[in-house]
Amino acid sequence: MIKNSLKKLELKDKLLALIVPLLLLAAWQSAVSLELCSPLLLIPPLTLLDTLLYLADSGELTINIIASLNRVLVGFLIGGLSGFLLGLFMGLSPFLDRFAGPLIKASKQVPQFALMPLIILWFGVDELAKYVFIAIGAFYPMVFNTYQGVSTVSKRYRELARVFDYRGARFLTKVILPSAMPSIITGVRHSLGLSWMFVVGAEIFGADTGLGYMMAAARNMFQIDIVMAGLVVIGAIGFSINFILQVIEKRLLVWRFSSDQGASK
Amino acid sequence: MKRTEKIKIKLIGIALPILLLILWQYVVSAGFVSHHILPLPGQVLTTLVRLFTEEKLILHIAISLRRVIYGLLIGTASGFLFGLLMGLSRTAEKIFAPTFHTVRQVPLIGWIPLIVMWFGMNELPRILIVAIGAFYPTTLNTFSGVRDVPRRYKELAAVYGYKGFKLIRRVILPSAFPSIITGFTLSLGMSWVLLIAAELLIETIAGIGKLIDVGRDTFNMELVVAGILISGLLGFTMTKIVEKLVQAVQKGRVFEQEL
Amino acid sequence: MSIEKGTLQIRNLSKSFTVDGNALQVLNNINLTFPAGSFISIVGSSGCGKTTLLRILLGLETNYEGDALLDGERIEGPGTNRGIVFQDHRLLPWLTVGENVAFGLDKQNRKAKKKIVDEHLKLVGLSGFESAYPAQLSGGMAQRVAIARALANKPEILLLDEPLGALDALTRMHMQKELERLWLLEKITMVMVTHDVDEAIYLSDIVVIMSSRPGIIKQIIKVPFPRPRDRASSEFSHIKAEILKEFHLGTEYPFAYAI
Repeated sequence: MIKNSLKKLELKDKLLALIVPLLLLAAWQSAVSLELCSPLLLIPPLTLLDTLLYLADSGELTINIIASLNRVLVGFLIGGLSGFLLGLFMGLSPFLDRFAGPLIKASKQVPQFALMPLIILWFGVDELAKYVFIAIGAFYPMVFNTYQGVSTVSKRYRELARVFDYRGARFLTKVILPSAMPSIITGVRHSLGLSWMFVVGAEIFGADTGLGYMMAAARNMFQIDIVMAGLVVIGAIGFSINFILQVIEKRLLVWRFSSDQGASK
Repeated sequence: MKRTEKIKIKLIGIALPILLLILWQYVVSAGFVSHHILPLPGQVLTTLVRLFTEEKLILHIAISLRRVIYGLLIGTASGFLFGLLMGLSRTAEKIFAPTFHTVRQVPLIGWIPLIVMWFGMNELPRILIVAIGAFYPTTLNTFSGVRDVPRRYKELAAVYGYKGFKLIRRVILPSAFPSIITGFTLSLGMSWVLLIAAELLIETIAGIGKLIDVGRDTFNMELVVAGILISGLLGFTMTKIVEKLVQAVQKGRVFEQEL
Repeated sequence: MSIEKGTLQIRNLSKSFTVDGNALQVLNNINLTFPAGSFISIVGSSGCGKTTLLRILLGLETNYEGDALLDGERIEGPGTNRGIVFQDHRLLPWLTVGENVAFGLDKQNRKAKKKIVDEHLKLVGLSGFESAYPAQLSGGMAQRVAIARALANKPEILLLDEPLGALDALTRMHMQKELERLWLLEKITMVMVTHDVDEAIYLSDIVVIMSSRPGIIKQIIKVPFPRPRDRASSEFSHIKAEILKEFHLGTEYPFAYAI
């Protein structure tokens, strides 16, 4: 019976969550039907769906999605990995922390988009420039969160490791990294989120493929349908990335999510 | 810590920037890298000094700051109210949070083409982009701060008959304050990043982002590097001002560390 | 003459820390000998250096004067011949109960490891919990796992730093019985630091009373009663009174504050 009422409650929550989307959809449709704004600025919901299907069908969408995802992947791997390693070593070595920390913190103050013109002058307008730009975006959250996680490993656990003579790689993989893992995962999430934003920015700024390019080109030709479709697609991909990360997080941090059910047995 | 120790730490910290500066000077003056690609530190400094003596820079800065301040005010004020609403009412949370968390996944820069089409190439889209950037962190942190007010405070407030506005003002907001401030600081950082992006991606005639872009168009490397430094300096100054303000507000208030 | 394994000898041991440039003497000229297989408690008020003494025996504090000898050899660092149970169970939250118990068993194959883990979980009465996470255990259960982890290495002596200090009174009495059972079973030297005089008398062959600033040994009291001991017996109260008397004389505060 309790299970039943729980199910009812969940259903009620789901219905509540639908109120806003439905209202927005109704407002959108009526704004179009009542001709409250120009069709050049707002297309009907169904037309948006048609546009999405058309883009998918023509293969244009797939090409652009792959181009964007490829850039994110390469940029994130370069920036995220170097951020992780630097954060790890800074967390392990107080000297390195004091040596490199101030510069990294100071350079964080530069809004990274300001670097885009410089990166283009240095690396040209091709893929390399985009990788570098995305890598810079991915670097900062990773370095700070990894450092945070590693440098705050409790002294109690470090002592325990000493008592049981854990050193080197064993100390790192059994004590430091698991303890820092929640923080590292937060870093990965922010890092990937920023990568996804930076790729769209870089593609709007100058590219000949990618979802950002698709939207920027459509804007120049005043194709509102493609701009809106692009927005839906980048949102959906952002959502999926986040979702996948949440699943991975639950897997990796199972010890954190386990409740104290065992105690009541 | 002893004073000498502190000074030593500071010295280690500036060693790396100085080393990099020397390396920079060396690779350019030794001819490994053309000064058209990488201007000499001295050239950048000269450009900075020249810029600061010109009225134009003040204008660029003033226009950028105006955009950030408007955007920040709109974004954080609405974010605060929205976060408060969702934090206070479970029903409001259930109604709004799912949509909010879904829309949040759209990378902020992605809004630029749409907003430009809707509002044209004037100040409004730039301010709106900054506002959207400022909106999310403040909403999220106000929401979590208000929702997670410790139950024991709420119980205490109930015992003493605190309700409505009095409850919010005397118990909820003070307890959520650190979280709200965190949100505001994050909003500030995000809005500065988005402003520069907006100034680069939406045609404009002035602003720090534009200054850097002019440098790129005219292949004026000194100007590009000087512009980047100025944008960093402004970001740093704003963060410091907010930090000082927060310290002033928090002075004398010691917050209990939550376990 | 060979020394029986598990014999602890402490000779002229002193230890001082440097705080803000001033030397602070924590332990002063400690001399003790613990026969192998005995149960020793060290009681004293906060700050008497009893935990520091334990950390020296454990090998976490290596810079000390005099000698602390285990089986005739000076203790210079941690080693698996000494087990430790801390006041906080200090289980690694990301490892399962089984993995925690196996934490000190490295150079053995999987099968041998599993056997030792199973044996020791059975020993502390937690068979079937090996795949649970520490967050799922109650305080008493977590402390049992910590004891199993310490015993799994077959140490010659087991050091206990207020092992039951974080438990509620009833669980605590139950765990005291458990400790006694394990001690009788394993026949190893156990050295326990505690605040609880009853606990010390209930478990120990020898009670060492320390006083503070700097930590010195005030009195060594032998408890010769047979086990299991009756907390309500007159001999028990007699010894308790004797120990409490030491505290009244030694501190300027009433005893109640020193607990």
